[in-house]
Amino acid sequence: MKLKIRSEFVISAAAHAALLIWCALTFSIAPLTASTDSLPVDIISDKQFNDLMAGARSAPKAETAKPPADRIDEPKPTQSLDAIAAVADKPEVKPIPKQTAEAKPSEPKPEPKPEAKPEKAAAKSEPKPEPQPDPIAEAIKKDIRKQEARRAAEAKAKAKAEAEAAKKQPAFDPDKIAALLDKRKPQRQPVAGEQINQEPALGAPTGRAATLSITEIEALRQRLMQLWNPPAGVANPQDLLVKVRIRLGRDRKLAGQPQVLNSGSSSAFEAARQSAIRALYEGQPYDMLRPENYELWKEMDITFDPRDMMRG
Amino acid sequence: MKRDTGRNPMIERPLPPPQTPLTRRTLLQGTAALGFGLGAGFPLRPASATVQIDITQGNIKPLPIAIPTFIGSGSDIEYARNIPQVIADDLRSSGLFIPIDPAAYIEKISDLDAIPRFADWRAINAAALVAGRITRDRGSFGVDFRLWNVPASGYIDGRRYLGAPENWRRIAHIVADFVYEKLTGEKGYFDSRIAFVEETGPKERRIKRLAIMDQDGANLHYLTRGDESVLTPRFSPSGREIVYTSFVQQQPRVMIMNIETRQREAVGNFPGTTFAPRFSPDGNRVIMSWQQGANTHIFVVDLRSKAITQLTNTPAIDTAPCYSPDGTQICFESDRGGSQQIYVMPANGGPAQRISFGEGRYATPVWSPRGDAIAFTKIQGGKFSIGIMRPDGSGERILTEGFHNEGPTFSPNGRVVMFFRDPGGNSGPSLYTVDFTGRNERRVQTPAYASDPAWSPLRS
Repeated sequence: MKLKIRSEFVISAAAHAALLIWCALTFSIAPLTASTDSLPVDIISDKQFNDLMAGARSAPKAETAKPPADRIDEPKPTQSLDAIAAVADKPEVKPIPKQTAEAKPSEPKPEPKPEAKPEKAAAKSEPKPEPQPDPIAEAIKKDIRKQEARRAAEAKAKAKAEAEAAKKQPAFDPDKIAALLDKRKPQRQPVAGEQINQEPALGAPTGRAATLSITEIEALRQRLMQLWNPPAGVANPQDLLVKVRIRLGRDRKLAGQPQVLNSGSSSAFEAARQSAIRALYEGQPYDMLRPENYELWKEMDITFDPRDMMRG
Repeated sequence: MKRDTGRNPMIERPLPPPQTPLTRRTLLQGTAALGFGLGAGFPLRPASATVQIDITQGNIKPLPIAIPTFIGSGSDIEYARNIPQVIADDLRSSGLFIPIDPAAYIEKISDLDAIPRFADWRAINAAALVAGRITRDRGSFGVDFRLWNVPASGYIDGRRYLGAPENWRRIAHIVADFVYEKLTGEKGYFDSRIAFVEETGPKERRIKRLAIMDQDGANLHYLTRGDESVLTPRFSPSGREIVYTSFVQQQPRVMIMNIETRQREAVGNFPGTTFAPRFSPDGNRVIMSWQQGANTHIFVVDLRSKAITQLTNTPAIDTAPCYSPDGTQICFESDRGGSQQIYVMPANGGPAQRISFGEGRYATPVWSPRGDAIAFTKIQGGKFSIGIMRPDGSGERILTEGFHNEGPTFSPNGRVVMFFRDPGGNSGPSLYTVDFTGRNERRVQTPAYASDPAWSPLRS
């Protein structure tokens, strides 16, 4: 009886121990990806959140922050800006900056495909090693790194695709232990932006860059006020209100005809409309608008309302 | 060139818009517009609030405008050169436009239906461009023109006017009115005339003749010979008659003259002195003063029934009556309160309200055709000034002051006030215009001294 109880106890203990070990192994190899960073918490409003600069959570706060960008193109949200910070820490891996002196807004750009063949991506981003005294050793190192990078990228991309599919419940796949053990950050798509900027600053991955600054808006207003020559002294000044939607290109000039949003039939309105459109054309290029804020100023509604100046 | 007969009516025709060549740019714009329309239906990105900017202050300044020589050949070259000149002079005189010196023009317009080279006109800072041509369509003289918004590279509008070649100045004034209205939002006033009293001879024995001319001083005619003195001519709403005060045998009487036929007749059968007449807005009545002893009262004469209605009956001098443009009210001057002031009363009689309360005396009130202002002569401290105020007496503003300014009359759009100024001494009066803001004071050229101007309504 005594022996029997002990054997049951032993079996039970062994089973529990096995379960615990399995659990420990599993969890240590594939930790939950969610919220691994500890974050200083500030309570901010929705507006403040929307106004956050695109950046990395781990990066230092910059005085005049700019969204990170490796090449000049239409800015697109990137899935992991935190990765940029990590990559920036590794000076030997530099993303290929496709540095063109002038932005070509009309140039069509293919959408980045997450399922793109990782070999291609890896081949594209040639790591540039630091100058070393021994060129042969360097060449070997380079070879090894290339292979490593390719392998890692291959595995990482697969793992990432799956991880993204099932982010909340990462599945354990013994085939990918090697990849999981590789602590290198994955190769990433180059981040497009208005200006090359490889210094990430504090921000949120989904941040929308800074809002139009007061000085930009004020400078724009000043220019239009200087150029706008409204019809003076008409009998019905309320006819003179004209609301115009303009769309600007990256060259900060009007992209297409300004769209007048309100309508009127009086000749006063027609004259006011002509004067508003004249001012908008004469004001271009709007060089006070900062290129990095393009998303914010590419479309604007401008209301020309001279009623205040007609009073008295 | 022959003189304006003043009769031939103008025929106005719309001008088909210029042919817009199908360029890559227009195609792209069309495609962009289509894409924009589709995008509005299916937003690709979350709708973010568009930046809203309010512009509440502008910079009012004269508009630089280019009016190159019109297209014309053969005998029409003179018209092609002179019509743009008259248009430019009209627009310049308003103070709201600066015609650009033709010497600066880069492009020579040779095809009215082609798109101008806007870059050439932008280079000389033109805000607007008027291009035109003289047409001889089956023998009839005509002027085609197009108005362009230069900074926006846009077409605004165009017209064809047909008429007699001798009326080329009128056609030019009509084009100027069209441009003025399109760019300022108000009706123009260039196709209008001025009646006035021309004064010649020495100061003690002035000969005063009734004269009429275009608002720019051209086409001067005399309506009376000068054997009788005349005062205060006023146009009928049709512009075809003038009512005025004539001194027949030293006795002031109100007369009506048909400008075309020069026929004239006395208004009403008043014994004694009648003066200061004006037409009612419907043209059927004349309002005037009739002196009765030491007092002067205001009367209305129905021109068809000859019926006479007395409107005021106070022991005072009530004179210089003028209807509001809607015909419901009358403004006039009266010394019933002790000094000359401006009063407003219902057009069919009733209690009068004093509206002038500033220092000094007020005389010769005239209601703006726009209805929003009354212009007057103000006498204060030995000076005669021209001013305007709102019909309720508020917002008084002096437009010009000096030794002697008198007799304001409004342009047909209520934007400009004409008056006469007498510098005193041995010289005589001249006509001047001033914008109702008090800016852009200009002398109107007349061959001799001139006083008592009256601005006609628009002729077309």
